[in-house]
Amino acid sequence: MAGVSEAGKPQQTMADFGFFSAVRLVRPFFRRYRLRLLVGLLALLAVDFLQLVIPRIIKGAVDLLASGAASETLLVDKALLILLVAAGIAVSRFLWRYLVLGFSRLLERDLRDWLFSHLLRLDYPFFQKKPVGEIMALATNDLAAVQLAGGMGLVAAADACIMSLAALACMAYISLPLTLLTLLPMPLLALLTRVLSRRIHKGFTRVQHQFSKLTEFARSTIANIHLFKAYGRTAAQIRGFDYLGRAYVRDNVRLAAVHGTLFPLAGLVGNLSLFLVLFFGGRLVIVQKISIGDFVAFVSYLYMLTWPMMAIGWVANLFQRGVTSLGRINEVLIARPQLVGPEAPLAPPAAVGEIEVRNLDFGYEGQERPVLQNINFQIKAGEFVGVVGKTGSGKSTLCNILARLYPVAGEAFFWGGVDVNQLDLAAVRSSIAYVPQEVVLFSRSIAANIAFGKPSASQAEIEEAAAICGIHDEIMAFADGYQTMVGEKGVKLSGGQRQRIALARAVLLKRSVVIIDDSLSAVDMETEQAIIQALARYFVNRTCIVVSHRIAPLKNADSILVMADGAVVAQGRHGELMARNSFYATICRQQRVDLSHGEEGHHA
Amino acid sequence: MRNDYGYFEEDQLGRVGDARLWRRIILLGLPEWPGIVLAVLLSFLVVGCGLALPYLLRLVIDDFVVNTALGQAERLAGIARLAGLFLLVMAAGFIVNFCQVLVLAWTGQKIMHRMRQMLFNHLLGLNMRFFNNNPGGKLVTRLTNDIQNMNEMFTSVIVTLFNDFINLTGILAVLFWMNWRLALLMAALVPLVVGNTIWFSRLSREAFRAIRTHLARINAFLQESLAGIAIIQLFLREPETEASFKKLDHEYYEKSLYQIKIFGMFMPLIELLGAVAIGAIIWYGGVQIMAGAMTIGVLVAFLSYMRLFFQPLKELSQKYAIVQSALASAERIFELQDSRALLPAAANPQRPAHCRGRIEFARVGFGYAPGQPVLKDFSLTIEPGEILAIVGATGSGKSTVINLLERFYDPDQGRVLLDGVDLRDLDPEWLRSQIGLVMQDVFVLSGTIRENILLDSHLDDAGLQAILARAQLQDFVARLPEGLDTKVGEGGRDLSAGERQLLAFARLLVRDCRVLILDEATSSVDAESEMYIEQATRASLAGRTSIIIAHRLSTVRRADRILVMEKGEIIEQGSHAQLVAAHGQYYRLLESGNGS
Repeated sequence: MAGVSEAGKPQQTMADFGFFSAVRLVRPFFRRYRLRLLVGLLALLAVDFLQLVIPRIIKGAVDLLASGAASETLLVDKALLILLVAAGIAVSRFLWRYLVLGFSRLLERDLRDWLFSHLLRLDYPFFQKKPVGEIMALATNDLAAVQLAGGMGLVAAADACIMSLAALACMAYISLPLTLLTLLPMPLLALLTRVLSRRIHKGFTRVQHQFSKLTEFARSTIANIHLFKAYGRTAAQIRGFDYLGRAYVRDNVRLAAVHGTLFPLAGLVGNLSLFLVLFFGGRLVIVQKISIGDFVAFVSYLYMLTWPMMAIGWVANLFQRGVTSLGRINEVLIARPQLVGPEAPLAPPAAVGEIEVRNLDFGYEGQERPVLQNINFQIKAGEFVGVVGKTGSGKSTLCNILARLYPVAGEAFFWGGVDVNQLDLAAVRSSIAYVPQEVVLFSRSIAANIAFGKPSASQAEIEEAAAICGIHDEIMAFADGYQTMVGEKGVKLSGGQRQRIALARAVLLKRSVVIIDDSLSAVDMETEQAIIQALARYFVNRTCIVVSHRIAPLKNADSILVMADGAVVAQGRHGELMARNSFYATICRQQRVDLSHGEEGHHA
Repeated sequence: MRNDYGYFEEDQLGRVGDARLWRRIILLGLPEWPGIVLAVLLSFLVVGCGLALPYLLRLVIDDFVVNTALGQAERLAGIARLAGLFLLVMAAGFIVNFCQVLVLAWTGQKIMHRMRQMLFNHLLGLNMRFFNNNPGGKLVTRLTNDIQNMNEMFTSVIVTLFNDFINLTGILAVLFWMNWRLALLMAALVPLVVGNTIWFSRLSREAFRAIRTHLARINAFLQESLAGIAIIQLFLREPETEASFKKLDHEYYEKSLYQIKIFGMFMPLIELLGAVAIGAIIWYGGVQIMAGAMTIGVLVAFLSYMRLFFQPLKELSQKYAIVQSALASAERIFELQDSRALLPAAANPQRPAHCRGRIEFARVGFGYAPGQPVLKDFSLTIEPGEILAIVGATGSGKSTVINLLERFYDPDQGRVLLDGVDLRDLDPEWLRSQIGLVMQDVFVLSGTIRENILLDSHLDDAGLQAILARAQLQDFVARLPEGLDTKVGEGGRDLSAGERQLLAFARLLVRDCRVLILDEATSSVDAESEMYIEQATRASLAGRTSIIIAHRLSTVRRADRILVMEKGEIIEQGSHAQLVAAHGQYYRLLESGNGS
């Protein structure tokens, strides 16, 4: 399975991802399962061939009856022959379905595995550009389209080709002119199917879009029901829902009109051919150009042609969608992480935990304004550093860079005195414990969540980390304690509980550098302060970088970085900053405007 | 892909034999009876046209093609005549088929639309306790996916099932009429096909359910991993994550393979039965022809009818599955429809002409869940124009006071009074129009800023400008290129947390309510917005009875009275100065906020 990522080579260009690019992308998978495919397609060929035999047998029987040469034994022979052939068809049909459709599922599985393992290697800049919902659609909807094209599409294409050629050959053998005549409506059918199935696709997209609008409207109404009730807006919401519902009805009826044309039309065109056989074929029998048995067989072959003709339009559509979807998947597969370690990394430095940032500039791709500008600061190993600043001042971006989630241009970020770009990425990351602002917990037990970075952690270690983060008692209050499941099927955790579990997950690792990005915003100030003090004690010899929008808990930090508009405007201890930095002093005053009442001297 | 908003429902099967359920479904469709009757009538025409074609084929062969008794010219003319008829029937078939599809879609959609509106209407009238107990995703699923499921049944199944039924009986009738012995032989195959179908539909349902469950698992895993990609990478968990995903993916593959096997067996089996039928026709029919009891034309027609006969039987299993799933949906929808979680309405709801704004909680007891009281013997009086601040930890009962005052819930014991009238005797709509609520999460409608401020009220531009000024929105609106007509909300401009707060104040000022409830935001807003919000708060509080769930100390200080709550009880009250002097819980709260 390790070979999956090397199995195919993604196309390097995004533009003009056409049919042949798609073929190149999936060729390795076709090669991997070539035996299965070969046998499957042979079985398909057998089905088609055997299906053509049945009308020949019927023709023989009818001709025998017409000529009066029939006997019961001959008829029983014919009937048994039909059964034998049908059994052959049944076995072959099962074989191709199992082999070829199974192949399409294997293709889907392998592509999904490939996509996922590639995604795991991509970095933050990529995920910034691609929303999670979009990637999920790739891994489900788009892959399903590829699977359909590679399974049913492939079969239908092969089947339609073999069937139509064989049926045509048999028909031409009976009477060439009659064959040509009956073929007249067929291209019309293929064309109509193609045009209409495109319109169906469009109509279907419109209906789906309207449906999701309706769903979203219902969802947002229910989610905000207390507000609508408080503002007396329920009647307006019912009107709005009615309006959307009517639009949905309209789009559905429109789609039905197209559906209602396509399917009867297919029957119509098929019957048109039958009409031609009836009219001209009947004449040929009368003038004794063909036998009555030929005539009956001809009608049977005609029935066989209707399906391949309809399939052509359908298959074209299927392939088109498959190729488009594969193109979208390819876009992810050609994405390369910007953040990669050097080929020959230097040995990890001895002074782990010492961080220096020199003249760091940083901007997100596609945004003109840099987020961080000319950042300079030094953190000594074992220091406790606070970071404060307004929303949007660049605190989180700085954390992401320090945690090695974003690439840094050379010579700006020094890790233990060495340019971080010279060091192995995994080695640097393995000495960092990072708690991002947005909490992500996984659907497993609380214990497993806390031990996420170290699955071998003992229960004592887990409980210690939880206790430091002030969540141990609350976990014990759950009926299942540490084995309580998190997520949809588990207990509903409050924002503050989730934040503290995420924090415990980082604490447990006991890494040299701990970065905490405003991860206690949902707990009250008293608790936040207590936790940060506990952390400071626990991490006495480790470098600790803590962002908070509240200044109070950071007061005792060894050093505080004050950020504004993407720059570090001041660095120092609380007292120093209060004395000489008016910006910092202003924030402090804003946050404690009432508290300074009569107590100014206490912390000045 | 089904959009479940995080709500995943195990598949259930409806009870096809439940008469009560069917009665309700039929009642729902009753108002659309003209459409349904028309669709059924069209069914007869569709089936008639479909059956006529092979019969015409038979006539062509027997009467003219093999009929050597007639002269050649006569035979050719006869063929031409029948071929013309064939063309005519064919065109008619196309037209009635198209009409039927349209009538069905229109009727089905109208029924669904009516159901959806009925359900939505019912839902919005339910009380907050109901919404707290039912996840939003579940209710959305009822309104959308469940109703969609029923639509499938109305449009594609019920009438096509009817079509098929007429078709099968029609074919059997024609076969019996042509040759009853051979027809009897054919009819003997029907139980075999139906038995096979039922067996198969049972297996395939299980297979599909397993596939859906596994796909949902893959989705959930993907969503979680992608959201937590930074954690996975930083904690170096890529190998384990990849292995878990591959395992899930492979399980999904195995489930889908199982489904392929089942389908791969069913279709060939049905076709094998078809071959048995053909063999039987040739053998038995051939013997009859030799005996002169049957014509070749009848034999050919029999062969054609067999094809028509097997088609609907093959699809039967699919349709049965749709009906089952639709019935399960219907059951869930009706269950929601039957929920009677309504606030008890007064016999004569009062709508006083004037509201002074005196609020009284008289010995109120209340809990969201039985046995877990949130408020115990809670009494409180707020005089008109008084500003009251409530402080306390999460879970102390602050928000419950507001929920009771808005009458989202009724108290379990005691009474809540406005101007001396029990809230239960007041018209809830009037009550809510008297209470202005500014919450942490401000709902923004997708529309213009003007629409968002006015909601349902009317106000001229001058009045609106005055309100903008008081709500501190003037500068903000002035900076927008389209001013008050700027679109906000979904598809429009995004509003910051601070701007949303100001918008809520503007709404409140437009409606000029006598009672103001302010649930302050805890989220950090920047200093500039903070200043604006403070001024807007001051403008809004003036002259109104106000209750503030306080987080910002500046607003607490302005209050006439401060209530400190803990575990559903008032433990301290008084002015800021009094409480500071008392050195109690309030003082400790201030201290910790200070960080000293």
